Amino acid sequence: MSALGHYLEEEGIATVAIVLIRPQAENTRPPRALFVPFELGRPLGPPSDAAFQKRVIMAALGLLVANRRPSLIVDFSDDDPREAPDPGWRPPIEPTTIPQEAADLAEAVEVELWALARPYAESCVRRERSTVGLSGLAPAACGDYVASWLRGEKRASPVADMSPALALRFAIDDLKAFALEAALTPGTRPSSRQLGDWLWNGTALGAALQTLRRDCLAGDDERLKTVAAFFVPALRVPPE
Amino acid sequence: MRLEKLPAAMAKRLAELECPDFKTTPWVEGPLLSERRVAIVSSAGLVVRGDRVFRGRDPDYRAIPSTTEANDLLCSHISINFDRNGFQEDWNVVFPLDRLNELVAEGAIGSVAATHYSFMGATDPVQMVDGAREVAGKLKADNVDAVLLTSV
Repeated sequence: MSALGHYLEEEGIATVAIVLIRPQAENTRPPRALFVPFELGRPLGPPSDAAFQKRVIMAALGLLVANRRPSLIVDFSDDDPREAPDPGWRPPIEPTTIPQEAADLAEAVEVELWALARPYAESCVRRERSTVGLSGLAPAACGDYVASWLRGEKRASPVADMSPALALRFAIDDLKAFALEAALTPGTRPSSRQLGDWLWNGTALGAALQTLRRDCLAGDDERLKTVAAFFVPALRVPPE
Repeated sequence: MRLEKLPAAMAKRLAELECPDFKTTPWVEGPLLSERRVAIVSSAGLVVRGDRVFRGRDPDYRAIPSTTEANDLLCSHISINFDRNGFQEDWNVVFPLDRLNELVAEGAIGSVAATHYSFMGATDPVQMVDGAREVAGKLKADNVDAVLLTSV
């Protein structure tokens, strides 16, 4: 991102970057950058907090009228208040026993996705949006495809211009978004850690993705090995 | 991100990621903020629903018109090691178009660009040069004189 600041500014357009990793900005030396101490993925900080977000933007844009420096990197002082957990948040569905065998997991995932369909639909109406859609498949079709891989069935790609491995990656991205959006229950402000703990420790989907990752990485299909690295976040991969 | 909150190995990898070595830093000046036309350029791999998703470390970019609805913006960044929940709850966490429009209404900035852009941040920045110069031309044609770069 800091490099883009160089490229655009060389073309005559003033830039300011909001950066989340200070050492990278220090090494790239962009014209202007505001370092924010928020978690990765949240350059503007807390969701649904317009006043806070505007303070971040104005702190960044304010650097555009600062006096010239070799590279101006300024720290935003406030932390993201949404990093704190919400004790009132509850998972969108009741916890169930998560099976160990892949074939049983496949069935459990399908049952779980069915149970999540209503809270997901309600969440979409409330937020007037969804971020599901990378694969181009409906959530149920994503679930069918992922379940078929868990059962060891070799299926053709359900997406016209994607390889089976790429379709699997995007179907998994869509299912994670589907589940996490279902978990945005009304009147609560869960932290990302709360939501992640639920997805990865408390759902059949999370267990299924861990199983798929492990099996794909242990196989001999190089395409699957490549995409399997993108199934589970590094912080959620169990220690070897 | 306070890197000390991450496991040491991950923090070290992020802090020591190889970056381009720029010998000089350009600096463009402009009018008061209240007169500036502002565009968002994101490295979050954002795409408008129906457009080509980023499939890997693609070096090109996607255009995001200011008329885009929140329901039509997707994040196809290849990395899964950053939070998506914030974006799922509120697109302004990554793409603060509503906030910029509010700042125009408040008189803090002049106007918002007609089109914004997104790259794939996991791509080697050197490979983005051509795309970035193309985007610069489009921004200038839209009279943009301030770019807010947002990374994830």
